[in-house]
Amino acid sequence: MPTNRHVLKEKVAAYASILLDGAYEAGGQDAVLEVRDQAERVMRIARSNMDLSSSLEDSSYTPEQRNELARKVFAQCHPVLVDVLAVMAERGDFALLSRVWASYGEQLERKLNVTVVDVTTVVELDDHLREVIVKKTEADLGTNVVLREHVDPALIGGILMSANGKRIDASVRSQLENARNVLRLSTDGGEC
Amino acid sequence: MKEQARTTGARIGFVAVAAGGLTLTSPALAFAAESESAGISAILPDMAEFIPMLIGFIVVAVVLLKFGWPKFEGMLEKREQLIKDSLEKSEQARIESERVLEEYKRQLEDAKSQAAQIVADAKKTGEAVKADITDKAQVEAAAMIEKAHAAIEAEKTAAISELQGSVADLSVAVASRLIGEDLNDDEHRKIVERYVNEAGSFNAN
Repeated sequence: MPTNRHVLKEKVAAYASILLDGAYEAGGQDAVLEVRDQAERVMRIARSNMDLSSSLEDSSYTPEQRNELARKVFAQCHPVLVDVLAVMAERGDFALLSRVWASYGEQLERKLNVTVVDVTTVVELDDHLREVIVKKTEADLGTNVVLREHVDPALIGGILMSANGKRIDASVRSQLENARNVLRLSTDGGEC
Repeated sequence: MKEQARTTGARIGFVAVAAGGLTLTSPALAFAAESESAGISAILPDMAEFIPMLIGFIVVAVVLLKFGWPKFEGMLEKREQLIKDSLEKSEQARIESERVLEEYKRQLEDAKSQAAQIVADAKKTGEAVKADITDKAQVEAAAMIEKAHAAIEAEKTAAISELQGSVADLSVAVASRLIGEDLNDDEHRKIVERYVNEAGSFNAN
């Protein structure tokens, strides 16, 4: 007899699979990646807006009301994503969105042999850098790689890469932070 | 017995009075005769007077020897016995007093010895208490010094740590500013390329 955990996992995988297949049929790999990015933004919005997320899970609303609310709020997103979000809200599964997003990435890699690597730097990448990064990540992951580029001056320098929940932090900020911790914790040579 | 003694006493008194009177009257007779004769006879006793006087004397002597002497001797013996008893008592008293004196001296010596022992004990106790107090004071002083050292060391460590933290923060802030402001885009890209080549693998995690 399957446990709730297994049922939940299957439910999450089903949502992710429907989303992936729908997006691919609608626009190929570009649409898949676009849906992935939009789903990530929706997830961040839901995390930062408790009223929205609680309303989409509130059982005092009817399923139809939650469906309609989701469609109106996320109307600017890809139609496939809007449909899936509306169904999740209708069934009271909107809280599973982060797990659906993670499962979506796993299925993307498995079905399309593509891994999305988020790359954050202080300056925009040029083609040479993109080629270097893609070669390295493809060698590491063994799949095709699609870069999602972000610029964040807070890194100070260097690069931050993440894929499939794994992360390589080669930023100057983290190195300075490590240096700061070493200096703080070090007692050798601290005698006055 | 008492009656007999009283009678005997009366007799003795009578004889004594008679003898005394005879004796007293005899010189008067002698002086009367002296005035009548002269020469050697003046210094020789008149027999007529001498013989009665002698008889009186003998009578008095006999009476005294027979009745007075025993009494006198008894009195002497009593007196002697009394003196002897007194001497014995005084001797006993002297011996007793000497014994008491010796006893007192012994008790005094004992008291002196006990007093000396008490003083010695008190002195020893005082020394022990003094040593104990000194030891405790030294232990407390050592503990206080150790605590003070620990507190100083903790303060020193905290100060060093705070200083290290401040230095670290300042160093990082300076480094951040230098890197952020001094590097242009190409230099940043070179750093990114170097870091990508030096960075670890996703599979390593």
